[in-house]
Amino acid sequence: MPKGVLVDVSRCIGCRSCQVACKSWNDLPATPTSFNNNWDNPPDLTATNWTRVGYHLIEKEGQLKWRFVKTQCMHCEYPACEAACFTHSFVKTKEGAVIYKPTELNQDYCVGCRYCMIACPFSVPKFEWDKSFPFVRKCRFCYDRLKEGDKPACVTVCPTGALQFGEKEEILAEAHQRIDSNPNYIKHVYGEKEYGGTSWMYISDVPFEELGFKTNVSEKPIPLYSWNILKWTPWIFVGWGAILTALYTYNKRRAEVHHEEEMYAPVQDEE
Amino acid sequence: MNYKIWRFGKWTFRLTSTRYVLMALVAIMVVAAIFRFVLGLGAVTNLSDEWPWGLWIGFDLLCGIALAGGGFSTALIVHVLHKEKYAPIVRAALVTSMLGYIIALVSLLFDIGRWHNCWRPFFYWGYHSVLFEVFWCIALYTLIQVLEFGDIFFERVKSRPLKGILEKIMPVLMIVGIILPTLHQSSLGSLFVVAVDKLNPLWWSMIIPFFFVWSAFFLGPAMVTFEGSLAARAYGRQPETEVYQSLVKVTMWMMIVYLIVKIIDLNTRGVFSLAFNGSFESNMFLLEMIGGIIIPIIMYAIPSIRKSQQGVAVASFLVVAGVVFNRANVNFTGMAQAVGGSYFPSIWEWLITLGFWSFLVLAYCFIAENFGILPKEEHGASHAAGAQKSIAG
Amino acid sequence: MTNHFIDYRNADAFLIIGANPAENHPQAMRWIGMAKSKGAKVIVVDPRYTKTASKADIHVRIRPGTDIAFLNGMMNYVIENNLFFYDYVLNYTNASCLISTDYGFEEGLFSGADIKDGKFTYDSKKWDYQKDGDEIKKDPTLQDPRCVFQILKQHMSRYDLKTVSQVTGAPESLLREAYDAYGATGKRDKAGNLIYCMGITQHSYGGQNVRGTAMVQLLLGNIGIAGGGVNAQRGESNVQGSTDMAMLYHYIPGYLNCPVAPKHPTLAEYIEVETPKTSYWSNKPKFLISMLKAWYGEAAAKENDFCYDWLPKLDGKDHSHMAIFEKMDEGAIKGFFAWGQNPAVGGPLASAGRKAMEKLDWMVSVDMFPTETATFWKRPGVNPADIKTEVFMLPAAMSFEKEGTVSNSGRWIQFRWKAVDPPGEAESDLWIADRLFKAIRNEYKSGGVFTDPIMKMVWDYDTPGMEEPDINKIGIEINGYTIADRVTLDSFAKLTNDGATACGCWIFAGYWFEDPDAKLPACQRRIDTDKSGLGLYPKWSFAWPLNRRIVYNRCSCDPAGQPWDPKRTLVQWDGAKWVTNDVPDFGAKDAKTKEPTPPEKSAKAPFIMVPEGLGKLFSSGMKDGPLTVHYEPVESPVKNLISKQQNNPLATKRKGNFSKLAETGSKEFPYVCTTHRVIEHYQSGAITRNSPWLVELMPEMFATISPQLAKKLGIKAGDDVLVSSARGEIKCKANVLPIIQPMIINGSIVEMIGLPWHWGYAGLAPGATANDLTPCVGDPNTNIPESKAFLCNIRKA
Ligand SMILES: Nc1nc2c(c(=O)[nH]1)N[C@H]1C(S)=C(S)[C@@H](COP(=O)(O)OP(=O)(O)OC[C@H]3O[C@@H](n4cnc5c(=O)[nH]c(N)nc54)[C@H](O)[C@@H]3O)O[C@H]1N2
Ligand SMILES: Nc1nc2c(c(=O)[nH]1)N[C@H]1C(S)=C(S)[C@@H](COP(=O)(O)OP(=O)(O)OC[C@H]3O[C@@H](n4cnc5c(=O)[nH]c(N)nc54)[C@H](O)[C@@H]3O)O[C@H]1N2
Ligand code: SF4
Ligand code: SF4
Ligand code: SF4
Ligand code: SF4
Ligand code: SF4
Ligand SMILES: [Mo]
Repeated sequence: MPKGVLVDVSRCIGCRSCQVACKSWNDLPATPTSFNNNWDNPPDLTATNWTRVGYHLIEKEGQLKWRFVKTQCMHCEYPACEAACFTHSFVKTKEGAVIYKPTELNQDYCVGCRYCMIACPFSVPKFEWDKSFPFVRKCRFCYDRLKEGDKPACVTVCPTGALQFGEKEEILAEAHQRIDSNPNYIKHVYGEKEYGGTSWMYISDVPFEELGFKTNVSEKPIPLYSWNILKWTPWIFVGWGAILTALYTYNKRRAEVHHEEEMYAPVQDEE
Repeated sequence: MNYKIWRFGKWTFRLTSTRYVLMALVAIMVVAAIFRFVLGLGAVTNLSDEWPWGLWIGFDLLCGIALAGGGFSTALIVHVLHKEKYAPIVRAALVTSMLGYIIALVSLLFDIGRWHNCWRPFFYWGYHSVLFEVFWCIALYTLIQVLEFGDIFFERVKSRPLKGILEKIMPVLMIVGIILPTLHQSSLGSLFVVAVDKLNPLWWSMIIPFFFVWSAFFLGPAMVTFEGSLAARAYGRQPETEVYQSLVKVTMWMMIVYLIVKIIDLNTRGVFSLAFNGSFESNMFLLEMIGGIIIPIIMYAIPSIRKSQQGVAVASFLVVAGVVFNRANVNFTGMAQAVGGSYFPSIWEWLITLGFWSFLVLAYCFIAENFGILPKEEHGASHAAGAQKSIAG
Repeated sequence: MTNHFIDYRNADAFLIIGANPAENHPQAMRWIGMAKSKGAKVIVVDPRYTKTASKADIHVRIRPGTDIAFLNGMMNYVIENNLFFYDYVLNYTNASCLISTDYGFEEGLFSGADIKDGKFTYDSKKWDYQKDGDEIKKDPTLQDPRCVFQILKQHMSRYDLKTVSQVTGAPESLLREAYDAYGATGKRDKAGNLIYCMGITQHSYGGQNVRGTAMVQLLLGNIGIAGGGVNAQRGESNVQGSTDMAMLYHYIPGYLNCPVAPKHPTLAEYIEVETPKTSYWSNKPKFLISMLKAWYGEAAAKENDFCYDWLPKLDGKDHSHMAIFEKMDEGAIKGFFAWGQNPAVGGPLASAGRKAMEKLDWMVSVDMFPTETATFWKRPGVNPADIKTEVFMLPAAMSFEKEGTVSNSGRWIQFRWKAVDPPGEAESDLWIADRLFKAIRNEYKSGGVFTDPIMKMVWDYDTPGMEEPDINKIGIEINGYTIADRVTLDSFAKLTNDGATACGCWIFAGYWFEDPDAKLPACQRRIDTDKSGLGLYPKWSFAWPLNRRIVYNRCSCDPAGQPWDPKRTLVQWDGAKWVTNDVPDFGAKDAKTKEPTPPEKSAKAPFIMVPEGLGKLFSSGMKDGPLTVHYEPVESPVKNLISKQQNNPLATKRKGNFSKLAETGSKEFPYVCTTHRVIEHYQSGAITRNSPWLVELMPEMFATISPQLAKKLGIKAGDDVLVSSARGEIKCKANVLPIIQPMIINGSIVEMIGLPWHWGYAGLAPGATANDLTPCVGDPNTNIPESKAFLCNIRKA
């Protein structure tokens, strides 16, 4: 059964235990950082920072709101990264994790073209720029733990319950239950419909767009976009091929007739 | 101007000071390439997680392939539509195109992080990926172009049987050689279809593949015109002005269609107004459309401009620049807002790109001097005189 | 704290004052969040907009050091608007008790003030109850002008909304909103949870601040009930355990006062002076004598006062942190063990503290890292050759590398098993203490001045074949056992004063007693059943005392024994006996007859640990007065608006290198500065600044100022700035965030600076030390330094 995680932004205190747990479980090195006025170091997701809690200090009419938003791979139902990869290096597992096969399953077909990075609507996959033979890296939903029936490392350590792990269906139901029963919540489960749905979902008491979420995005899975074009390929191949062949033979015939008369005539403007 | 001529066997190659510079640039590229392959991409490029695709993809690949569009559009015009009057330019177009593709492939090899795996996609088929189509088409098409070039090659390197075989399969090559670029020129656009919500709606569209293939197609004649004019000056020859004049009319009409479709597309998606909101993106978009489409259309439409060699060359240059600009806008300008950060190619990236294009020019010159790709000279007298003021000199 | 963390989920409102659990006690936020999702109101009182404030319904920004104004204002508001819990106040607090006519209060000073030898003192006798023999006189109508309630009412009347607003800088409307929201818990079916921490305690009147929180809770009837309580969130993971075990110099284990030579020369005198006639403390002799039996074993007998003479005694002087460093600086202290502490970063005016260490002959650092303290002799700017101190470093094992118990703020003593072996030569603190003691004893074998306490002390924790001292033996010793047959005790009620029992720490009695279900000592059990539904989890570890989860729980029901709120039943009189969810904090059964005691009896003294048996709205036990008074911090930008007395007259001050202070309203140091923590770093940063993953999160020292001040001073985020006080200057990064805002104090603008204090020169991520700026002034009751409100300046570097 596919799993999911509910991130309740209204409960997150920005403690970043999740960030540290991710590094710890996944053996990721610390990145050198310097003072960050926003406090939310490291500043970006990178090949060694798979999850990050962004701090959003919103000042509105003299009132402050400070919200903390964990980001990582959303583990899309219809992953753009998977669809984009022409070597099949990403796969959505039955547990719901979208994993990168070269590091996860030792199937090293990735050529490092980074199209997956362009394709991911959440800009999640990151590249090991400093390696000679770099891999693409991103949150793996702690696939090894998931397979064993354990929660991801980050969820395990979250002290507040801002992260809740479970069967995706139940998580979604819980999300709706919470936003329905409490008027403080924005009536939107982010990730329920975005790009066809994701395994990680968010609820919040502050409008999502104020928290750096891309809102009003397509509800159509991204792979469908390219598929809707790609599916024409064979037809174009055959159809265009037929047209060209027909034109070719027709014009060739005509030209052969024409040839005798006009071949050596000067080129003239058709005007 | 004085120059030496290199001779090795029956091949010749002029050595001019410009060419020394180009050769030096190629040599620098080779050094840079060593750095790139030993140290990795991060060390030599300014690419980043925000900007995973930079100069090599955004210019060398996207533009290289687009500019090489002359190959397939002239092939279509000459071989399929049998507009034989354009035949004189078809060979030069083919060679440029082939070299463009080779550059694109090599730059791709430079650009991919796990280049040792570059053969994998032939065996692991991610057929649901646009890139899969692009990859296969480009690979096959390059092969086809090489074969097509074989036709020219074996004129010089006499090999009857091989030339015979090639001549036999040439019609098939020709047709497949048009289908494949149609597919991948459009797929290069389709690549960005997934960037919905990332690519600015001025450029993102479900019919972006159409825009790409169409522009690559109309770019062909313009490129041939522009490049022919250059080559003519370089080799002190009379440009095929009349051929160009009529050829660019194809471009003009296609650009008009392009413009109309563009407007309709923007309108139906309700983003037309974005073009005039004064943002950086809107300005770049307007620049692209006005400078690269509307002005050339007008220039082509005015017979006096079109009929002057100068005018047709300038207008064609605008078309070429417009398409390059469009590709850059799609890859950079249109993405900037969504991905954040900033990107400017590093010195190494520039050097490698410069090296690629220097190599392309040198290779073109070599081929031009050793194979019959330029139209037969009609006014032989001008040859020597022209060579004096040759820009390639 | 009176309650415990899980109980937070039962609250209807929170008053979080001077605490930032979202950074410092993150796990607490789980339960606060749970209560919140059931509709609880969260009020945060903090000079900064904190991560905790980000989860609050109401954030009251007050100027550092004005908590008493805020709390007194609340008491005034609650009394004026009749929001207090009348039945509770009447029955369970000393509101009705009459106070001596000697008591008075004028211009910020209480009666009994005197100057002796140039030193301010109070004669607290003046604040005593009026008594009829042993009986305290009471007025159950609460109308007598000498009754506590009327005195309180009158005292608090000065703290009207306008005044409080002028002093604290919080707008009146916001104060009213907060007072209404929290005052709403003064109902029988509402529980308000008050959480405090260092923002309350680290002041020259920190003790009174704490008193203020307790008084508010008493007025609203929030103590002794599920979801209520005065909840001091403790600091270091086992600081609760360490104070329980007398890590504070003036206690011996179980909060018995440390014998003071002039005051308690003999056991009899100690007992005489220290044992109240009423309250549970009347059993104190049993606790002390059992402790002496545990320490001195066979040697301790009735005839020799159970070796009371062997106990080290105080000389009646101050031996708290600041006093030690002052003495060290004077050269009066020769050697120093920095055992699991890093005063070179954490101590007030640490720069002077480091200098003082140079006067030592020797110093031992027992730590996991070469901390700033351990490396003080090679700190930046000094020449190691000039420092004569011999420094030893004993590598210690970290918490995960050893076994033992940790007591949390909720008094739960939880045993933790060892997870990994310590690296290299590192050993557990227990191992180190064991070898140290044995080595010392070995030295004394050849004789010495007074060897008995060392030679004859019980020290039999070895088990053949084991490297480590046997923790089970130590556990039993602390827990208590019968001397005759070595039976482990289940309760301190079994302790005797005749030498028949031994017990290392009476409040721990029962923690090592084997649970019949778990077959493990109580502190090791982990059974997660909870029939109360209130989150008491009685079989999860052990809470002192007696596994009681919520202390003073008699107050959770009315005098007749019926719960104020049936949803929060802790104990209940069913007409014949007490039905209990929690361990009753009163004599539910007669000690001798074992018959149930009817509710009327316990209703008279629901606070069994104080002599009057009642919650003290008025207390003569504090050195600096029976009621809370607003004083300004010793360093303050403004004059005291409420009374002539500017500061706490008893605030402790220091001499020599530790004496420098800025004057009130200083032009040179115009900004109020406070120090705080961030979640990523722990304390002096010894561990966290050596932990790459944490350094990555919070790499550099910074000073937070408001965007307005930044603009005024031309400082941009990330600039290098110099922050200075009368005592020094540090360089760090400028953090410009609206979490800090200018405050309007009595009409003029006061700006403030927030400094985290986690950095020092050692470790992976060195940085400037905030404590190079803090003043060495302290609270008279606790001697805690005033590191939460002092004066500073800031400029671009
Ligand atoms: N991550 C982490 N956790 C820790 C620690 C740590 O260093 N790091 N230390 C542990 C220890 S030992 C302790 S004692 C606790 C301390 O825990 P806290 O007391 O919560 O810690 P602080 O951040 O020092 O201070 C709390 C708040 O008091 C505010 N404050 C400052 N002055 C005043 C004032 O005058 N009045 C009021 N009302 N508020 C004021 C500060 O702005 C700050 O937000 O944390 C423990 N937990
Ligand atoms: N300005 C300012 N100053 C403050 C405060 C403030 O709020 N503001 N807060 C004050 C407070 S509340 C406190 S509690 C103090 C804390 O001050 P300290 O106790 O001096 O600071 P810590 O960093 O906790 O020091 C603990 C040391 O013990 C070591 N250690 C950890 N575990 C073990 C162990 O198992 N065994 C041994 N042997 N060593 C171990 C650590 O490496 C560290 O060096 O600071 C105080 N100082
Ligand atoms: S968020 Fe991006 S990387 Fe993650 S599954 Fe979706 S498309 Fe793939
Ligand atoms: S970088 Fe690797 S995983 Fe990503 S699209 Fe290219 S081949 Fe696939
Ligand atoms: S699921 Fe695992 S890999 Fe992903 S963010 Fe959490 S800890 Fe990291
Ligand atoms: S661990 Fe939980 S509360 Fe802490 S930052 Fe991560 S999601 Fe938020
Ligand atoms: S004691 Fe440990 S688990 Fe508890 S809040 Fe602090 S860091 Fe978290
Ligand atoms: Mo502490």
